[in-house]
Amino acid sequence: MTPMKLFSPIPRRYLFELGGAMLAYALVLFASIRLLQTGRFEGAAAAAVALLPVLPCLAACWAILRQFRRLDELQMRMQLEALGFSFAGTAMLSFGYGFLEGVGWRPLSMFFVWPVMAGLWLVGGVLAAWRYR
Amino acid sequence: MALPVKNHLKLLRTERGWSQNALAERLGVSRQTINAIENERCDPSLPLAFQIARVFGLPIESIFDPM
Repeated sequence: MTPMKLFSPIPRRYLFELGGAMLAYALVLFASIRLLQTGRFEGAAAAAVALLPVLPCLAACWAILRQFRRLDELQMRMQLEALGFSFAGTAMLSFGYGFLEGVGWRPLSMFFVWPVMAGLWLVGGVLAAWRYR
Repeated sequence: MALPVKNHLKLLRTERGWSQNALAERLGVSRQTINAIENERCDPSLPLAFQIARVFGLPIESIFDPM
């Protein structure tokens, strides 16, 4: 079975909504970085500018939740299994690495956590799609 | 313990000459869901089972058999 057959097609509305949110994220991130580079912001103001890209992330969360509500019962179950897999896997990996940091391994940025979770979500999705093929 | 349920969905669908996509559209679910139910990898919810029975114009127990 080809990967295209394994997954249902992604709805155009979801692509539009998530794509719009991600475009807004890219623009706000760019603006935030440029503003911080000017050196005009310090302390709480710098923190506020640094956090600006989180706002379009809220739009991405909204798009993802809307897509979840559009799923049918099997797709919902598959997403639950995929998210459960990534939730448990990320916990194991992040705690595991945290213990290794305790014995001198290089501390990693918090930015590493989400890509790990997203990667495991994808793996979990493939496993769930395979299970219910 | 879950009661294993057999179904005749594939037979009924092919008898009517419907594709999985066509049946999925009638039921408002994905083709993948139809495929999984036909292969007995998952059981439909009660509302979906009733909807399937309505689409085929058959009583629910003639489509789904508890073993």
